[in-house]
Amino acid sequence: MSGMKRPGGELASRPLHFFWLADCSGSMYGEKIESLNYAIRSAIKPMQDVADDNPNAQVMIRAITFSTGAQWHIAEPVRVEDFKWQDVDADGVTSMGGALKLVAEQLDVSLMPERCLPPVLVMVTDGQPTDDFNAGLKSLMDKPWGKKAVRIAIGIGQDADLDVLQKFIGHNEIKPLHAHNAEDLVNYIRWASTVVLQAASSPASQVKDQVTSGVVPIPQAPEASNPDVDDVW
Amino acid sequence: MSSLLKRGQILHGSNTQTAYEIETFLGAGTQGEVYQAKTNGQLVALKCYFPQYIKTDPNCQQRLEKAISKGNPDSNFLWPIELVFTDKTPLFGYVMPLRADHYKSIVDLMKRRIDPGFRELITACLGLVESFLHLHAKGFCYRDINFNNIFLNPQTGDILICDNDNVDVNGVSGAINGTPRFMAPELVRGDAAPCTESDLFSVSVLLFYMLMLHHPLEGKKEADIRCFDQAAMNRLYGNEPVFIFDPRDNSNYPVKGLHDNALTYWPLYPQFIRDLFIRAFTTGINDVQHGRVRENEWRNALIRLRDSMVYCACGAENFYDSEQLKEGQQQVCWSCKQPLIYPPRLRIENTIVMLNHDTRLYLHHIDKTRRFEFSQAAAQVTRHPQDPNRWGLQNLSDQSWTITLTDNTVKTVEPQRTVNLNAGIRINFGSVQAEIRV
Repeated sequence: MSGMKRPGGELASRPLHFFWLADCSGSMYGEKIESLNYAIRSAIKPMQDVADDNPNAQVMIRAITFSTGAQWHIAEPVRVEDFKWQDVDADGVTSMGGALKLVAEQLDVSLMPERCLPPVLVMVTDGQPTDDFNAGLKSLMDKPWGKKAVRIAIGIGQDADLDVLQKFIGHNEIKPLHAHNAEDLVNYIRWASTVVLQAASSPASQVKDQVTSGVVPIPQAPEASNPDVDDVW
Repeated sequence: MSSLLKRGQILHGSNTQTAYEIETFLGAGTQGEVYQAKTNGQLVALKCYFPQYIKTDPNCQQRLEKAISKGNPDSNFLWPIELVFTDKTPLFGYVMPLRADHYKSIVDLMKRRIDPGFRELITACLGLVESFLHLHAKGFCYRDINFNNIFLNPQTGDILICDNDNVDVNGVSGAINGTPRFMAPELVRGDAAPCTESDLFSVSVLLFYMLMLHHPLEGKKEADIRCFDQAAMNRLYGNEPVFIFDPRDNSNYPVKGLHDNALTYWPLYPQFIRDLFIRAFTTGINDVQHGRVRENEWRNALIRLRDSMVYCACGAENFYDSEQLKEGQQQVCWSCKQPLIYPPRLRIENTIVMLNHDTRLYLHHIDKTRRFEFSQAAAQVTRHPQDPNRWGLQNLSDQSWTITLTDNTVKTVEPQRTVNLNAGIRINFGSVQAEIRV
C-alpha cells in the first residue's frame, strides 16, 4: 500500500426515521409494561448492529407513549448509535388516535428531510383505542410520508384489538403480530427493530413469494408460541 | 441474539456422524443463524435454518447435498462441508470453514472502516471475478451476490465468498431471487429467474461499488426520488435503469453533492475500465442474453488495471491511461493535481506493465502457458546495491532470460541476476517477448 488513502467518502446514504408508539395505558400496568421496557432495551444492541452493517441508511429514532393523551417520550430524533430507552410507566386510558396524530404532525413534508427512506412506525398495544382512532389514522394517511411509512403492529395478550391494528397496518398481507407472552414480545420487538428496519433501507435477499407491504418487502415474522400452553397474560 | 441453538448443544454431521458442539452465535440473516462450532478441537461455522424459511425453500437440503458432493469451485469459497441435524428437533443446517477475523465485509469497505489501497482493492476485485468464473464454469449459478457474502483481507486483497447455500445448477429454479440493488433489471421486473447471466450483472454492480463506492444506476433519477420505497427501487433498478455515465443518455448523470464518489472515481480510472462499465450497464442491460460483460473480460481488464498503476511523487496511486496519452492529454495526479511522471514500463506483447519501485512480474506475465498464475513472483524491480540511481528488473524465475541491447548485443540474465531498466532493451522470457520503454 502507498499509505495514501483513496479519495472520496463513505457510500451515500439516506435518513430512516423510526418511531416507537407504545401503549402505556393502565391495562399495561405491571408485567406487561415491564416486559415492554425489557423487550425494547434488549432490542437496542441488535438494532444498532443491523444499522452498523447497513451502508444505505442513517437511522434516527423517536418514541411516543399514549395513555390518557399522547406525548413524546423521545421527541428529538436520536441517532441509533446513541439510542437509549428510559423506562415507561402505565396509567390511564388508550389514546391511540392521539398518538397517530402526534406522529402525523412530525411526518409533515415541511418537517421531514427532502430525501428519505420510508419511515418505520412500530405500534405496541394491549387494548383498544378509547379516543377517535379513525381521525388519528386519517391524519396520518393524509401525509405523504405517513402513507409511505412501513407500519408494524404488535398486539399484547387477549384484549388487543387486532382489527384496529390491521387498519393501522393498512395492508392485508401483513398481519398484526400477536404476543401471547413475554418471550413473544421480545422476539417481535427485536424483529421489528432489526429485520423490518433492514427491509426498509437495504432489503436483504428476496425470498420468493414474500409479503410485499406496498412500501417495502417484509420478510416473515418469527412464529408465535402456542397460546394455549404459555399464555401468561 | 440467537434463537435456534444453545451453547453446548450438539449437532451431528450427516456424512461423518461427527459431533459439532455449538460455541458462540455469530450472526443471523433472512434464512437462518450462523454459529461457531467445535469438532475434534477444530473450529467451523455452522448455519442453522429458521423453520419458517425451510417451508419456503423445500429443495434446500437437496441443493446443499448436491453442492457438497460436487465440491468447491476454488478455495475462496467457504463451501458447505456436510449437513448437520439436531437430535430431537427438525432443525437442520450445514457446516463450512470458519472465516478468519482479518477478513472484512464489503460493508466495512463502503463505510470506509477499512481503506485498502488501489492495488489491494483491484486484487480483491480480480479474486472475485476469478472465483465466480470458476463457479459458473462448473455449471453453477450463485443467485444472490451482495455486500454481505463477500469478504476481503484489506492488507492483501485476498477474498472469501460465503453463503454458498443458494448455489445451484444453472437453470434449476430456487427460492432466492437476489438482493435489491444487485439484482439484474429483468429479475427486478419479474421477467426472469436468477441464472448465470443475471449473476454477471450482479458481479458488475459489485465491481462498480468496490471501485467507485457508488451504485451504477443512482444518479439524477435517484436524486429526484423523495421516498426511496419499493416502487422507487423497482423503477430505478428494474423498469427504467439508466447508467449514470451512459455516454448517449445523460438523464441519470450523478448529482454533485449527492453522488460525489461516482464523480470523483470515474475519471480516475483508465478509459478501458470505463468502457467496460459502460458496456456492462448499457448493452448489458438491454441485451440480457448476449450483452453482459463476462468474468474473463473483467479478469483481463483488472489485471491490466493493476499493471497500469503508477505512484505520483506525492504518494498517491494513479493509473497510466494510454488512450488519454494518445489523444495528447497530459495526465495529472488526482491528489496533488501535478502532471504525472511515469516510471519505466515494460511492453509485453500488447500490454504495458508500469515498472514502479515495488512492481513484481508473475508467471502470468512471462510465460504464455501459465496465464493468470500470480502465486509466485518471477521478476521484481530492484535498486542497484551500490548505485541508488540505477534500477533494474531482477530475474526471480528459474529460467534464464535473453536480452538484446539497443546495439543488438545479446546477453543472458540468469536467475537472480538483474537487467538495467534502460530504454529499448528487449527481453526474451522464453514464450514471451518484451521491451523496456522509458
